[in-house]
Amino acid sequence: MSNANANAMIEVSNVVKVYKRGKTEVRALNGVSLSVPRGQFLSVMGSSGSGKSTMLNLLGALDVPTSGTLRIDGKEISRFPDDELSRFRRDRLGFIFQFFNLLPTLTAVENVILPELLAGKSRELLEPKAIALLEQFGLKGRGAHRPDELSGGEMQRVAVARALLSEPALLLADEPTGNLDSKTGSEVLRLIREATRARQLTVVMVTHDPKAAEVGDRLVRLADGNIIGDDAVQAAA
Amino acid sequence: MWSLLRFVSFRHVFQSPLRSLLTLVGVAVGVATLVGIAAINRSVMDAFRSTIDTVAGKADLTVAAETSGFSEDLLETVRATPGVLHAAGGLSVVAPVNNSPGESLYIMGVDLLDDGYFRTYEGAGETNVGKLADDLEFLNSTDRILVSERFARAKNLGVGGIIELQTHEGARPFVIHGLLKETGPLKAFGGSVGVMFFGSLQEAFGKGRTLTRIDVAIDQQVGLEAMKERLQKAVGASIEVDSPDKRGSAVTTMVRSFQLGLNLGSGVALLVGVFLVYNTVSISVVQRRREIGTLRALGATRRRIRVLFALEAAVFGLLGSLLGMPLGVLVGKAAIGSVANSVSEIYVRVNINDVKLGSSELILGLTLGVLGSVFAALRPAWIASGVQPVEALRKDAAIGAGAVEVKAWPTWVGLGLLIFAWPVAQIPPPLENFPAFGYTAIFFILMGITLLSPIVLRWLNVPFQRPGELLFGISGRLAADNFARAPVRTAVPVSALSIGVTMAVTVGAFIGSFQASADKWIEQAIPADLFVTSSARLAGTQNQPMKAEVEAELLAAGNGNIEALNPVRLMAHDVLGLRVFVISLDSSIHEKLGSTMILEGKIPTPEERAKGYVTVSENFSRRRDLKVGSTFVMKTPTGEHTYTVGTIIIDYTSDQGSVILDRSIFKEQFKTDQVDTFHVYLKDKSKLEETRNAITAKLGKQYDLYVLSNDELRQEAKKLVGGAFAITYAMETVAVALALLGIINTLLAAVLDRTREIGLLRAVGADRGHVLKLFTGEAFFIGLTGSLFGVATGGVVGFIVTNIVGVQATGWNFPYAYPWMTAVQMILIGTVSAIIAGLYPARRAARLDVVEALAYE
Ligand SMILES: Nc1ncnc2c1ncn2[C@@H]1O[C@H](COP(=O)(O)OP(=O)(O)O)[C@@H](O)[C@H]1O
Ligand SMILES: [Mg+2]
Repeated sequence: MSNANANAMIEVSNVVKVYKRGKTEVRALNGVSLSVPRGQFLSVMGSSGSGKSTMLNLLGALDVPTSGTLRIDGKEISRFPDDELSRFRRDRLGFIFQFFNLLPTLTAVENVILPELLAGKSRELLEPKAIALLEQFGLKGRGAHRPDELSGGEMQRVAVARALLSEPALLLADEPTGNLDSKTGSEVLRLIREATRARQLTVVMVTHDPKAAEVGDRLVRLADGNIIGDDAVQAAA
Repeated sequence: MWSLLRFVSFRHVFQSPLRSLLTLVGVAVGVATLVGIAAINRSVMDAFRSTIDTVAGKADLTVAAETSGFSEDLLETVRATPGVLHAAGGLSVVAPVNNSPGESLYIMGVDLLDDGYFRTYEGAGETNVGKLADDLEFLNSTDRILVSERFARAKNLGVGGIIELQTHEGARPFVIHGLLKETGPLKAFGGSVGVMFFGSLQEAFGKGRTLTRIDVAIDQQVGLEAMKERLQKAVGASIEVDSPDKRGSAVTTMVRSFQLGLNLGSGVALLVGVFLVYNTVSISVVQRRREIGTLRALGATRRRIRVLFALEAAVFGLLGSLLGMPLGVLVGKAAIGSVANSVSEIYVRVNINDVKLGSSELILGLTLGVLGSVFAALRPAWIASGVQPVEALRKDAAIGAGAVEVKAWPTWVGLGLLIFAWPVAQIPPPLENFPAFGYTAIFFILMGITLLSPIVLRWLNVPFQRPGELLFGISGRLAADNFARAPVRTAVPVSALSIGVTMAVTVGAFIGSFQASADKWIEQAIPADLFVTSSARLAGTQNQPMKAEVEAELLAAGNGNIEALNPVRLMAHDVLGLRVFVISLDSSIHEKLGSTMILEGKIPTPEERAKGYVTVSENFSRRRDLKVGSTFVMKTPTGEHTYTVGTIIIDYTSDQGSVILDRSIFKEQFKTDQVDTFHVYLKDKSKLEETRNAITAKLGKQYDLYVLSNDELRQEAKKLVGGAFAITYAMETVAVALALLGIINTLLAAVLDRTREIGLLRAVGADRGHVLKLFTGEAFFIGLTGSLFGVATGGVVGFIVTNIVGVQATGWNFPYAYPWMTAVQMILIGTVSAIIAGLYPARRAARLDVVEALAYE
């Protein structure tokens, strides 16, 4: 294998994902291969039902493929048992979802440190870090607020902070701005872009919005479980 | 409506089969407890009634002095009374069967010829009842007995067989002279009945020439009332003349206090069952908001929605009740033994062999099961009918809506109920032995706590967070949050559990306080070293009185180590409408060696005793409002005597009351010198075992003696008190078990509500263990809170039961002691079992597929 491959953050080859619902089978991914180098910001687009979320779930170690191999950060995770997948997510990955990103009973700070708390680390060490990060993301003084006291944009910023706090290898975002108005959305996008670039983080972001997709370095298009396009994004003028 | 029910409701039932099943089981268990207890109550009552009825036969009037008896000469007086067509005298004894602890034979002593007029005796096999009146062998010997076929069969004996019975002179062999079919009076006492010629019975059991009953057939032309008056005049005031159906009312009153405890317990079980239905229907309303919205959008009226949910609950109630019926029979069968035992030990001998469900229990069970379920559904159905058609379109409609909001009115009503509970508890009872308002107050408290619990749950969020995090890490913290998030829903299992725990702590408080007081009483008032009783461990209703001569035999057997012997008689006797114990003892010994616990007045001197001054127990004085100096009348075989209360003391012999007479006066007035128990004081207490062994060796077998040390007697008293409440333990268990079903129910709903959150947690790195801890943690908080509520409420309810309800039911007022041990136990049991109940929903949550959970809306 080439040097580039060994260096890749994501190495997907021939991945098939079949969902069985009763008698009918849905091939959500139909033999997808993909390699993403470290530090790349990859956007994934496609119409509804094309397999975007399925791919993200597999990359995010939330699910395992029906066949094919899946190497993330040098680890072959497609045959990991459930507990190892959990640990892997906790230690190596960050997630941002479209909505309902935060636990409603926890404060912003607590939401940010949640993965680390799950890992059994102590609150006292984490909280200052989280407060600093939130401050950096324009949420100064909002750390003690609960999600229902935050706006949609603020909630997504908290989610970004949570995803970044543990310094993951890979950030996965499923339509992170899908629920926001365009102004707030682009602010959040800019935040993601800047924060990940500064950290040299690999990002895979699923989106519906062509403008959002342009934020990335590269754009992959999906249709019916197949990759139908894979282009570099021209740097915006 | 039916099609709605079929298409909408039943589909839902099958979609959440587990919750439906749990609810069904809950209703069934509640109904089963109710029905089983009702059946037991009736069986106990029937056992009394049938004994009274079958023994009474066809008599129009009965002249009776059941406990103390009267001279048989009175039979002639009755017969000579104008208007008496026929009269037959008899007496009865309950004889313990030798070498068969706890078993006894009810023996009627009759003149078969006379008695045949009132009661039909049918011979079985060779036995010809008609010939017995001339059967000299039967009439002239003191050991010939007819027994029921059932008894003979059970003992594997036939005609000519020998059974040993305890008499006042010790064990005596009796020859089965013939067998009787189990008809008429032989049905009494579950068939453990024997018949002897009355003269023989008097002789065999040292009854002198006394009878306890004369049955009378009257000239109807004279009329019942007139004849009653005539006879009363003829026999004198000391003997009761009444129609048979009036008899036994003292016993009925007595049993009422016993049954109330049971009824209360089964009421609690039903209440918790109702909670469970409420829980299920509420959850189902929340989860079906969208469906309800759709129905409303399609034109269903509010009323229709309400009826739909009420009908659903009614169907649950009906099915649950039907399931509960056969279960009720099992409950009854399982519990009847212990109930019969404690009734026999404390009140009157009963033999109950079987429990059958009658139509009244079936109707009661069905009615309360269905009505209770519908009642439980009222509020959720009301909420459901408030769902707007637009909610059909809301995507997040399923998420916890409705259970989150804590309304203000339940809090105010709850506070009101708590405030009113105390004054309500003070209202005097409407009926003897029926502390209705005490029970109402308890109900107020339970409901008040239930209504207040949502708001308290909400408050508990913060104090639970730290301990939660310390115990279970971040999952524990989240569990503390979740616990307080849908307080209206979570309050249901919390309240249900708290009711179960309340009941346990209440009973624990009452029993504990009672036992402590009784213990102190024995220690101080009767510090004898040994207690000698025949045929039973304790004197009271089950022992066989001994002849007075046993005293001398005991002294001799004691090998000179006996300092003093106090011959004590405990005779059940009807005084002022209560079946109290008339206790006779040697006052001088009693006062010298024990220290009577006087509440009021002073112990009568010998001179005062001769003038009719007596000692009465606290509970008797309270129940009949007697003060020092009050007078009352007792009927005795030597006529009516008036007594003056000289002193009121603490005495726990009987919950009906005690009147204490000096032995010399008792012997004179009651014409008997038999002894129920000897209090033995030793010279050298270190030789207690030696003396006990000597007594047992010499006299034990002959008199079937039980010789208890003071310690053992106290143990026995403890057991007796505990045993009377044994059945309540079963009911507590039922209440707690139902509460656990409620926990499962609630948490299953919570898992559904929070599926998306579980997905999120899992995505950011929570493993299955975290999710497991999240829900078991919530179960832990539910269990802990329910238990803590329960031990606090139980303290208050226990106080009310000990100081108000108990005082009204027994007349005893003993110092209240909080049952710390029980409280700690219940907190442990409540919490641990809640966690165990939480395991199932927690496992379901932990096994959720992450991707599906994330996609869940
Ligand atoms: N859990 C599932 N069970 C069955 N089919 C599924 C499941 N998840 C997704 N699918 C199907 O797989 C296909 C791809 O879905 P998804 O990856 O969610 O697409 P996208 O995110 O691009 O809209 C769709 O046809 C969808 O219906
Ligand atoms: Mg999608």
